[in-house]
Amino acid sequence: MTKKLSISFVLLLLLIMGTGSEAALRVQCPGDTNQDAQWTGAEVQPANTTCMHIVGSDGFAAMADGYPQYIFSFSNMTGVPIDQVSDTAELNAQSPAPQIKVREGQDFYLTLSTVPMAMRPDLFDAHSVHWHGFPNATPYFDGEPMATVGIFPGASFSFYYKVPDSGTYAYHCHVEATEHMQMGMLGSLSVAPAQDGQSIGGFTQFAYNDGDGTTGYDVEYPILITGFDPDFHDANLNVQPLPFAAMDDRYMMLNGRGYPDTINTNPAGLTPPTRPDGTTGKVSQTVNALITATSGQRVLLRIANLSSVHFSTITIPGITMRVVGKDAKILRGQDGTPLYYNTNTLTLGGGQTAEVLIGPVATGTYFLHTTKHPELSNRNEDFGGLMTEIVIQ
Amino acid sequence: MKRITEKRLILMVSVITMLLLPGVLVAAIPGITGPDFSLTAKTGTVVVDDGSNIFMWGFANGTGSMQYPAPTLIVTEGQLVTVSLTNQLPVNVSIVFPGQTGVTATGGVPGLLTNDAAPGGTVTYTFTAGQPGTYTYYSGTQPELQVEMGLVGALIIRPLQGPKYAYNDAATVFDREYLFVLSEMDPPIHVKVQQGKFDEIDNSEAYPVAWFMNGRAGMDTVAANNDPIFPHQPYAALALMQPGERVLVRMVGAGRDLHPFHLHGNHHRVIAKDGRLLKSGLTTDLSEGAFTTSVGPGQTFDAIWSWTGANMGWDFYGHKGPNGEIGQACVDAGVALQPGESLADHCKPIPVAPPDNKDMFFGPLYTGSPYLGGAGPLPPGEGGFNPYGAYPFMWHSHAEKELTSYNVFPGGMLTWALVVPPGLLQPEP
Repeated sequence: MTKKLSISFVLLLLLIMGTGSEAALRVQCPGDTNQDAQWTGAEVQPANTTCMHIVGSDGFAAMADGYPQYIFSFSNMTGVPIDQVSDTAELNAQSPAPQIKVREGQDFYLTLSTVPMAMRPDLFDAHSVHWHGFPNATPYFDGEPMATVGIFPGASFSFYYKVPDSGTYAYHCHVEATEHMQMGMLGSLSVAPAQDGQSIGGFTQFAYNDGDGTTGYDVEYPILITGFDPDFHDANLNVQPLPFAAMDDRYMMLNGRGYPDTINTNPAGLTPPTRPDGTTGKVSQTVNALITATSGQRVLLRIANLSSVHFSTITIPGITMRVVGKDAKILRGQDGTPLYYNTNTLTLGGGQTAEVLIGPVATGTYFLHTTKHPELSNRNEDFGGLMTEIVIQ
Repeated sequence: MKRITEKRLILMVSVITMLLLPGVLVAAIPGITGPDFSLTAKTGTVVVDDGSNIFMWGFANGTGSMQYPAPTLIVTEGQLVTVSLTNQLPVNVSIVFPGQTGVTATGGVPGLLTNDAAPGGTVTYTFTAGQPGTYTYYSGTQPELQVEMGLVGALIIRPLQGPKYAYNDAATVFDREYLFVLSEMDPPIHVKVQQGKFDEIDNSEAYPVAWFMNGRAGMDTVAANNDPIFPHQPYAALALMQPGERVLVRMVGAGRDLHPFHLHGNHHRVIAKDGRLLKSGLTTDLSEGAFTTSVGPGQTFDAIWSWTGANMGWDFYGHKGPNGEIGQACVDAGVALQPGESLADHCKPIPVAPPDNKDMFFGPLYTGSPYLGGAGPLPPGEGGFNPYGAYPFMWHSHAEKELTSYNVFPGGMLTWALVVPPGLLQPEP
């Protein structure tokens, strides 16, 4: 059965390739005629509409100790001409996957394309996007492939979302979820509330439609907790059986980097990893995790844990965290009772998110880090891992 | 895709057979109703989804088969509950009832936490079911080994207020209820127990490699209750409901680890923890919305989950007029609204076109249609295990490692909720 299926997949792929793989990539975005998922020239952007084009592929990322990791992930191809997407996306997996930021009530058209895994031509894995936590989801746009469909290499699937309630969500591939998530197909996703733009309680940006400004902020930062198990990634690269049972995240990261890479502000991203053949890989880690603000500002940290293994507890010595939301729900009882709380530690398991407000804070440099101290390492290199800095000027 | 076995597909069909039998009432939480219970501790084996077996110690209902998890004990608030335990295992066994007060043990032999039943002996526990809620019970004798071995189950205390209440509170009313007992195992420990090599067991080094929901590993979780191919794992972990219904989700941590339980499809609202309503006084509501709840060992949570499909920007029933009209023409044709959908989205077609069939992987539960109750053309041999067009949502541990059994994905701590088109499900009795 499996062998027959594999053969039919190979035949299908040959068929797709034989008819020109570019032909099968298709971006669906209203008003966008040239399929680059944005509006240029004579193209007219419909009101309240936003589009994005991401592509699933493989690639490499450099761990903070210099070790290159083979990864699967998405890259942002919004604005890339459709006939250049396959070449541009090849070996371009990003760690973490591109951040998605949308606003409550928008019509969001997200096109996922898949290109073949350059390092694993034996794989014909489909990909999907699971908007983690989407309220009142339909399976068709939920990305869980046993309930719906996945998209094979060389083709595109367009998701449509009426952007729901505000809050911090996340997204990831749900195809062969344990493998694809451990390999890195995960990213931040947040929804700004409709209340944004109004002036309430001295703020114009908010985590939620709070009505009173209590979730207002001046600057926001996504903090995505992830982990890589180097043995799993190496086994995948070397076409070996995958060690699911032995899986343990020994590179714990924030926004796809371990400390001190988390505070590297080079706008070009980290130095690209060296591939096994000695060539230099593509830049894959463009997002740092450095948090900067001025002493009078209130900072919103949108924290999500998508580690495949670990619960993590974070702390910021010298700063009290105020938790105002969890799992994209404002912390209020059904009767409106405010349940915000102040704390020095916050524990999140895989698939949990929280909104934390900090500030105003006195000037200085603070550390946001895990209290599970073995996670403060980049494998066997100490003083690394799940930590970043908060610089208040 | 490449790892889905035919066996699992067949199990999925048995899900559907539950829907195929009109008049069959689906008992949402199978168990035994008290207040007097007779349990026997004995050996047995459970089946993991890869076909392997694990030697177990567990509780049986009376003279029945050992089962994992133990029989779900269902009582009503205020009842005097007696649980008599007969021990057929070679070691002492007992039962503790966390969350209950005034538990007395009669007979047996003195143990550390309570009286034990010695091998071949008996002991009886008595308590008044004090407060309604979801609880666990398990062996209090060397629990670091005996809970791992399977001597653990759930206890449900129903409130006096009525049969469809979780607590004596109007906000806890529900249409259907489901229980999810979350656990994991380190199989080599079970082998050593079976071989009697107790001296070689180091519980501090336990390393689980198999994960379970209601004692079954995914997708065995969706096979019917009391399916004869699981003689020691009688409880399904499948949640069925119709749009708009309020579903009470009872979660129990029954192993050694903390699990982030993620419910696809919608948020849930955690209304109680450890058998206590999340309220301060009579009015102040402390419940929390969530899409993932961390369930620790020995903890329980009760949550209300519902799915309406409202406000998604398109008509998830795929309504069309009598002549195929869509949009306003369909509304004007008088096509009726169905449960859950928003008037604003009525008759609106899905706003994106699907890829060509040759470019897609088809999940076994895909109907060929994005619509609830829909069906569309599928390539030969693809999909088709969801003939009534339910909306399936995976409910699973989001520690993704736990979606495996012995290194094989998918498996472990995963199951499904099925939102069934209106009119197909009997009301819960």
